[in-house]
Amino acid sequence: MKVTYNWLKEFVNLTASPEEVAEKLTSAGMEVEEIIYQNKNLHDVVVGKILKIEKHPQADKLVVCQVDIGNSITQIITAATNVFEGAVVPVSLPGADLVNGIKIQKAKMRGVESCGMFCSGEELGIDENYFEGAGVNGILILPKDFKAGTPIEKALMLDDVIYDINITPNRADCMSVIGIAREVCAIYGLDMRKVNLSYDIDVYAKDTIHDYIKVNVNTPNCQRYMATAITNVKIERSPLWMRARLNAVGIKPICNLVDITNYVLVEMGQPLHAFDQSMIEGQEINVRQAKEGETIDALNHNTYTLDENTMVIADKCKPMVIAGVIGGTNSCINENTSKCVLESAIFDLKSIRLTSRKIGVRTDSSARYSKGVNVANAELGMGRALHLVTKLKCGKIVRGRIDIASVKNEARKIIVSAKLINDILGLQIKPQDMIRILNNLSIESTLAGDKITCIVPPYREDIENDYDIAEEVIRFYGYDVYDNIEYELFKNSKVSEGHHHPRLALERKFRNSLVDFGFYENISYTLVPSDSANKLLLNDNRKNLIRIANPISDEISCMRTSLAHSLLSNIAYNLSVGNKKMKIFECGREYIADSLPLEKLPAEKNMLALAICEDDKEHKNFFYMKGIIEMLLNKTSVEYTLVRSKEPYLHPGISADIIANGKVVGSFGQIHPIVAKNYDVPSYVVYGEIDDDYLSNLVEKQRAFKDISKYPIVERDLAIVVEEKVSAKEILDSIKSSCGKLCYKVELFDIYRNQDLKSQSKKSLAFNIKLSDLDKTLTDEEVNKITQKVLKALSYKFGAILR
Amino acid sequence: MISEQLETIKEQLLAEINGAERVNQIGQIRAKAFGKSGSISALSKGMRDLSPEERPKFGAMINELKKVIEESLSLKEGELEEIELKNKLESEQVDITEPSNIREIGALHPIADVIDRLTDICVDMGFSVVEGPEIESDYYNFEAMNIPKNHPSRDMQDTFFITDEILLRSHTSAVQAREMETRKPPFKIICPGKTYRNDSDATHSPIFHQIEGLVIDENISMADLKSMLTILMRRLYGNDTKIRFRPSFFPFTEPSIEVDVSCPSCHGKGCKICKGSGMLELLGAGIVNPKVLEMSGIDSKKYRGFAFGFGLDRTAMILNSINNIRNFYRNDIRFLEQMK
Repeated sequence: MKVTYNWLKEFVNLTASPEEVAEKLTSAGMEVEEIIYQNKNLHDVVVGKILKIEKHPQADKLVVCQVDIGNSITQIITAATNVFEGAVVPVSLPGADLVNGIKIQKAKMRGVESCGMFCSGEELGIDENYFEGAGVNGILILPKDFKAGTPIEKALMLDDVIYDINITPNRADCMSVIGIAREVCAIYGLDMRKVNLSYDIDVYAKDTIHDYIKVNVNTPNCQRYMATAITNVKIERSPLWMRARLNAVGIKPICNLVDITNYVLVEMGQPLHAFDQSMIEGQEINVRQAKEGETIDALNHNTYTLDENTMVIADKCKPMVIAGVIGGTNSCINENTSKCVLESAIFDLKSIRLTSRKIGVRTDSSARYSKGVNVANAELGMGRALHLVTKLKCGKIVRGRIDIASVKNEARKIIVSAKLINDILGLQIKPQDMIRILNNLSIESTLAGDKITCIVPPYREDIENDYDIAEEVIRFYGYDVYDNIEYELFKNSKVSEGHHHPRLALERKFRNSLVDFGFYENISYTLVPSDSANKLLLNDNRKNLIRIANPISDEISCMRTSLAHSLLSNIAYNLSVGNKKMKIFECGREYIADSLPLEKLPAEKNMLALAICEDDKEHKNFFYMKGIIEMLLNKTSVEYTLVRSKEPYLHPGISADIIANGKVVGSFGQIHPIVAKNYDVPSYVVYGEIDDDYLSNLVEKQRAFKDISKYPIVERDLAIVVEEKVSAKEILDSIKSSCGKLCYKVELFDIYRNQDLKSQSKKSLAFNIKLSDLDKTLTDEEVNKITQKVLKALSYKFGAILR
Repeated sequence: MISEQLETIKEQLLAEINGAERVNQIGQIRAKAFGKSGSISALSKGMRDLSPEERPKFGAMINELKKVIEESLSLKEGELEEIELKNKLESEQVDITEPSNIREIGALHPIADVIDRLTDICVDMGFSVVEGPEIESDYYNFEAMNIPKNHPSRDMQDTFFITDEILLRSHTSAVQAREMETRKPPFKIICPGKTYRNDSDATHSPIFHQIEGLVIDENISMADLKSMLTILMRRLYGNDTKIRFRPSFFPFTEPSIEVDVSCPSCHGKGCKICKGSGMLELLGAGIVNPKVLEMSGIDSKKYRGFAFGFGLDRTAMILNSINNIRNFYRNDIRFLEQMK
């Protein structure tokens, strides 16, 4: 919100510099986001009077002017055609740096010296609404009574300093000049000047407000409605000082009555509305909810069709205003207005918020109402507006006013504890200092023992208890008190034991291991495109993408149901920028809805997903992935088996599901060729994922030492030929069972397939068998016996033959 | 006669020993001397032809010869071994700049790394790490945080909604009420995690990360908040880090503050990163609003608390001099490999 330094000075006897005031406001919680100097591009521009105009000796289109600039006469050459002898104009002198980027210096034009330039309104940053003549195509011709030599910023009242302040939602009362002025008073301990609310009424006149308007409030969303009438209205430009203020805060001046409503809006934070009384049918104002289908042509040139959730100000027949948001063209002030009804109302913030959002219109008025305007403010705003009507002589104020209020709001008394305030702050502020600060804030406070009794003014709706008062105290006592004090940590509180999150702790083990194996950790958007489930061929509840109602774009419109989407997309991105080989992983969530639309919170499954993109032969990547998965699972106590995977996005022949406790707790394998195509990644990409929630809920790994033999291990290597369809695991299990308790370790150390074997769909497997007996050294004879047993079993079960 | 012969053998052997250049020649000389048909063995055999009186004398001479030769042999052997080892070490050399056959090392994501660091620091200070759902109810995200429906403070965050009552949490503060409902005070928790806002530019990502801290105990004050955050920021940004409080507003804390941290890049002197101010606005914090405590069933007369929260993307950007938040979510290997 914008307020100006000069405007604040109307209410506070400020002597501090604009910069200091900004700094103090910020440190009191009214963050000044920007200081704008109106005169930034107006230095070295003064009022000048053209004394004499002569033709340029060398150029037809130029004239040479002698110009009185106060303390001297200077020569200026111009091509402008609207200048004349005796004209008063803005003159930019050497050194000037205008808003459009033009820098002025002495120059010779066709051999004749020119010591400056006449300015148009545009070159001064103003338009026709602000100053008459500023909009013409040519030089701005100033009023005759402007004194030559006057700096233009003074002459045109463009010498203010504007603050753009970020008002926090709890301080709706500060969305006005007067609100900020109150804070400034509290900062400097100054008294606020009384707001002038006086106005003239013709006490002998017979007519009263009731001769002009009747008001019915038929909705609970209007908490107060005040109306007054003005007759003999004369619509004209408002005075320069008023236009200057409005212009400074970014509001376009229009005409006296409208400018008054806007002026009061900024100054007092009270939105007002002025009606042309002659256009109010039936001379009645009905504050009501709109009827379904009613329409209104609004001042922004749009037509809105309304429904019963929208509050309107209507006359007997039609809605005239979308209450608190925007006026209609059917009853607004115009150049022919002679009688006016002025509204100062309080509307429920929720109603205004809903309407403003629904029709997508945000005005200065709706901005105030949707933060909440205090019920008492309506009176202040009305009084100030009538004062300005009198001051600007824009009409006769009719006796009497209408004031319909359903909510009363008065000063509240609260009692707080000085000790509690200090306990909250961890400080020892003297209660007297607290009282002083609160009184400066117009919170009248008295101390009795530890108790502070506070009379909270109605506009401070945010203050309810000790904590709120503590905040007011420290805001003005100054947070810098904490800057240089070292406190003992948790001096008065209990020591507690900190715990890592079990899943995050397990994931950290996984993540660090993967990094050591060359994997890069990814973090991807959990919001994915709506076609991601289809691209992954998902067919179970992972097909139910949870959709955002108000997404930024389709690309990030749905919650992901598989991390495969993220990693495959990341691979595709990297390939597109020339990163060809990569190993990546991500710990993240999948959001699984049982049904849509969502009626309860969905499951959020924590998964670890990994992917390898590396050129491949012989399914090397599959087995590398398998090794990585085994390495990770080994960090947990999980007992699992592998079965062929049913994941739709994996190659059915080159993938596995990890089964633990009858449940799929992970999968891995080469991606399905169709999925590879959908994501534009090579088909040799392998992907894997494991269920971190399941794994982190398992008991810690238990270890129990078994005796090791003191006798040496005996080894035998065994190479056999079997059919391809026999799995390595089946053979390993058979060997182990044949060796019985003497088995120490069996390892498959070589797999061999030559042309000959391939043609028979056979393969050769070589095993290393380590045997050991706890009680003795095994003899050759014993070992041979076992080897025979192994072979016999393999031959019987699988038709294996020794190579 | 024999003694001459003995002298000749001795000289021959010593000459050969002297001339030896490789360790394996020593073995050959040894065989030549002491082998079955070696010269010294032959001398010993010749003893049989001597008279019994002469034998002891020559026996002693032969023994002496054996001793001399053996000593010379081992001496020479030692020398040669030393030379050969020296030569071997000199000739055997690898190019230490050739790459190792251990595969490339990867890297953690900088945001995940920051979460690891922060959780370690906070666990040290007695905090427990918790998590909450990212798809959250309006109640926990807003209402329980003293942000009623249609309240102006809802404007502070642009929220992604799924239904009227279900949304993507707009801050990790959403876990506060969940934890307060289930835990018995006193407790200290932190919650790192993903958060979502309908906002996207060079410094805002619609998906980002925050960490939330909450302490509930009987005598908690703003001074505890100051000391706790000072330790946290010092461990993160260095021991000379200073923090500064400024007033602010959050519906769930009262008083509410913004916390500025001295710029870790220029140590408060003013630089490009802090836009010359020497301070970075990094955290929001405050004393837990007693209304929030009461809504979650905690007796606000007995207990008080503080809460803090900050963005982890920003933290990771500062710690790693990353200029654009989008880098985090593209997962470009060329970005990630700089995070080793």
